Amino acid sequence: MSEPSIFFFEVNERQGVFHRRAFLLGGLTGAGLLALGGRLAQLQLVEAQRYQKLSAGNQFNYRLVPPPRGLIRDRNGVSLASNRPNFRLIINKDKGLDAEAVMTDLQKLVPIDEARRARVLKELDRAPRKAPVVVMEDLSWEEFSRVNIRAPELPSVTADMGEVRVYPFGGAFAHVIGYVAKVSDRDLAAAKDDPTQDQELLHHPGFRIGKQGVEKAFDKELRGRAGATKTEVDAQGRVVRLDPAGDVPPTPGKEVLLTLDADIQNRALEVMGEESGAIVVMDVRNGDLLAMVSAPSFDANRFVKGLSGAEYKALAEYERKPMLDKSLTGVFPPGSTFKPTVGLAALTAGIDPEVRINCGGSWYYGGRTWRCWEPRGHGSQNLHDAIKNSCDVYFYQTSLKIGPDAIANAARAMGFGQIYDIGIPGQKRGNVPDPAWKKRAFKKNPANQIWFPGETPSYGIGQGALTVNALQLAVMTSRLANGKKALVPRLIKSVGGVEQPSGAAVPDLPFSTEHLNYVRGGMAAVANDVRGTAYRQSQLGLGDVQMAGKTGTAQVRSYDGVKNRKGYATTWRLKDHNLFVAFAPYDDPRYAVAVIIEHGGLGGATAGAPRAREVMRVALLKDPEIRARIERPAPLPEVAPEDVMEGAAPDDPVEGVAPPAPDVGAPPAVPPTTPQGGQR
Amino acid sequence: MTLSGGLTRPGERDRPIIKFMEVDWTFCLVLAMIAGVGGLMLFSIAGASWEPWADKHLLRFGVYFIIMIALAMCDLRWWFAAAYPIYGVGLVLLVAVDLVGDISLGAQRWLQLGPLRFQPSEVMKIGLVLALARYYHGLSSDSARLSWRLLIPAAMIGVPFLLVAKQPDLGTAILIAATGGAIMMLAGLSWRVIAALGALAAVAIPPFIMFGLHDYQRNRILTFLNPEQDPSGDGYHILQSKIALGSGGLLGKGFGLGSQSQLNFLPEKQTDFIFATLAEEFGFVGCFGVLFLYGAVIFMALRIASISHSHFGRLAAAGVTATFSLYVLINGAMVMGLAPVVGVPMPMLSYGGTVMLTVMVGFGLVQAVRVHRYTEVTSGKGSLM
Repeated sequence: MSEPSIFFFEVNERQGVFHRRAFLLGGLTGAGLLALGGRLAQLQLVEAQRYQKLSAGNQFNYRLVPPPRGLIRDRNGVSLASNRPNFRLIINKDKGLDAEAVMTDLQKLVPIDEARRARVLKELDRAPRKAPVVVMEDLSWEEFSRVNIRAPELPSVTADMGEVRVYPFGGAFAHVIGYVAKVSDRDLAAAKDDPTQDQELLHHPGFRIGKQGVEKAFDKELRGRAGATKTEVDAQGRVVRLDPAGDVPPTPGKEVLLTLDADIQNRALEVMGEESGAIVVMDVRNGDLLAMVSAPSFDANRFVKGLSGAEYKALAEYERKPMLDKSLTGVFPPGSTFKPTVGLAALTAGIDPEVRINCGGSWYYGGRTWRCWEPRGHGSQNLHDAIKNSCDVYFYQTSLKIGPDAIANAARAMGFGQIYDIGIPGQKRGNVPDPAWKKRAFKKNPANQIWFPGETPSYGIGQGALTVNALQLAVMTSRLANGKKALVPRLIKSVGGVEQPSGAAVPDLPFSTEHLNYVRGGMAAVANDVRGTAYRQSQLGLGDVQMAGKTGTAQVRSYDGVKNRKGYATTWRLKDHNLFVAFAPYDDPRYAVAVIIEHGGLGGATAGAPRAREVMRVALLKDPEIRARIERPAPLPEVAPEDVMEGAAPDDPVEGVAPPAPDVGAPPAVPPTTPQGGQR
Repeated sequence: MTLSGGLTRPGERDRPIIKFMEVDWTFCLVLAMIAGVGGLMLFSIAGASWEPWADKHLLRFGVYFIIMIALAMCDLRWWFAAAYPIYGVGLVLLVAVDLVGDISLGAQRWLQLGPLRFQPSEVMKIGLVLALARYYHGLSSDSARLSWRLLIPAAMIGVPFLLVAKQPDLGTAILIAATGGAIMMLAGLSWRVIAALGALAAVAIPPFIMFGLHDYQRNRILTFLNPEQDPSGDGYHILQSKIALGSGGLLGKGFGLGSQSQLNFLPEKQTDFIFATLAEEFGFVGCFGVLFLYGAVIFMALRIASISHSHFGRLAAAGVTATFSLYVLINGAMVMGLAPVVGVPMPMLSYGGTVMLTVMVGFGLVQAVRVHRYTEVTSGKGSLM
């Protein structure tokens, strides 16, 4: 109260300092505000475009729409692989997702067992942020709508409709067409640096990738291009608005047409029954594969959903190997089905087919006894008889006369030892041995490099190091039946409407027509001569439409010391392979069939021929021209059947009218000596 | 201003009607404009709806505006007398919140007093300005420049700073310290001390960030330094705010058409990041306009401070202005990606009652300084001059 503590000059000084400093502070604040304005100008004027793009990226979401996978059809348009609607339940791994709670909510709506719950939780844990994880597939309509009604309460759950691959014929085409399955980590890694692959599509939970057969080989064609729906979303990823104007429709995958015929294929799998093996049917006019079956098979639809461990184990461990494509990857010694080829080699080498060799049931050569399959012997055999009876002794001696190189050349010309470009991978080449091959194969063992003379007789009856697959057997038979062209097989008829090259645009066979006809005569006798090795099993019952064939047995083990192989019972694994090749109609060949029954037992007639006959019947009855011929038999004279053998030109419409007498000019060189007539 | 010429008779300035006329109404108009823009933005964010923010925002502004005018009528001597008590109450409350406060979002900031629920740190913002202004009022310029007496204002700043930092509310603590520092500087602190303190801060801050902070606080700072490191995690706020700002462009996307805020990409869009919403919908032009309004408020407030005849009034008004400026600058820098994310709202624009009340009470003090600019305030010893 007494004295002022602040003197006047001090007040002035304090005020002065304050004014200066306040001015400074105001200046600083102004500078700060200007700096903010500058920053605003930088963001809003200079970098505006960049942020506008980011903002649009936030606001609009292009939801990927997987393209419908291309259909796979057979030659007649029957669908072999198509798509069906599939109601799915998906959890999106959004920020702050309480997976446990969401699963508990879902369990109240749809049946989810504890195992599935655990699996989904684990997948969600592993999945990257925002990645969708499939909870359930194939919901019923009721379940689907139940979840959809509660969608607002379950923001991270989507119930949507996708498509899933379906194979209407189950197992019949499982090996050829293969199947699709979930994209594996390995698939992702392989496609990672491939710019032609749509990475986003690969990561889509509904997307499936081709894993085997046609589905794998033509995966990119079948896949199509993904579309998108444009939606406006909020920060939680919830769709606020649809924007149909911005939608991009998906491009469906291309359609792949196969040369296969669903009826023939189905019948082929059917006749295999419990047996293990393969059946291949080929059109001998153009090389189209009509059936290619491996048995036993499996239901490809199971793989689409994902196989359980137990299911996979059962398939993988079954002795008869259902997952192996035996028509392409199974290689077997051809056994006696190789004899027509050896016959051709002999004829080409100048052997007179009428020179007879006596078969006494065995033949002594090189210090050991070479047995014929018929222990009682066939007696005096020419080449025709030897094919008809499948006489081993005749072919032991004939092959020795012509040597391994001649046989190998003929085998290659008939299509053995080759891989064909049929569009799908997995073929095994097999082996056509010759001295040059021995040198290559036994590099480390010089003692084995020479061709031992004792190997040739085995070669002559289709044993030894010679191995073939079922497709090659069908090619051989087709070439023989065609009589002219070195046909190659074709499986893919067209891709996306583009016709694939035909198997008939190939050079001619290096055999004379005369020789080919002679050998075919022998095969006709196998099936139609009452003493032929497969006479009873080869009767088609289709009037004058007849089959020609050749039986075969491929030894799995040595029978040295075994007197009678017919009665020699053993376990399945040690039984002989049973083979049969055939073509029909004999007089105007259209279809060739090759059957391999793994461990089917001795003599191609028992297991192979009846199956070949059944398949051949379906193929013939599906052919309208053949049907016309059976239903209204052409008035062909019984007296001269050899004249019509090559008669009915394939292009002739046989509809009801008697075919013109083609025997006069059309066939170039039909030898009148063809022994078929005589054999009847 | 026009009135001042004739107001020379003793007691004339104490008449309520004259006091009322002496309130800076231009200042009030600018404040109302800012609050109006805030209401407009809140209306837009809610999807063209007064609910749930815009109506409350404007209603609050109205109520607080009346409080501000009422406080402007209070004699500066009353403010002077109340300075230490308010500071003391603030200190007690800060200690109380430490002992019995509510824990919300991992920090002890709230105190429940009957039906009231408030943050004592807000009381301290006003209390500290008043207390420092009063202390410096009785201090000679030499002492204010450099003397042992300065340990007292340093302690007045340091104690609440530590208490608030302990809650932990680093944003408010820094605001309190910066406001206090600004007042000390305005009062005439030696430049050498300022330089020394600046150097000390530059040396001490990096180790403090690494060792003295909670994890979430450190992450915010590290994220600020490199926001693209984790765009959907901690960097999300900054990135989305920058997208909102940048995508606004020159003229903005239009009222109610800001996709970033309307679709919730922008976090805290109605509170701390409301400026980004404004930027998105009204563009550079709108933002610059609002920044200009803030600049006008600060300029006018500083002018009021400098025309005051009492040292207490000068420092009190300037202290409030400093607090307000810091709010604007820190929030602006944070929204534009120039500063780490700290919970500092844009005053008058952001939704939220606490800060608006503090700011309006502060402006009530500023207006009181203007209305009572000729008032003789007692000396530091409590005696009238």
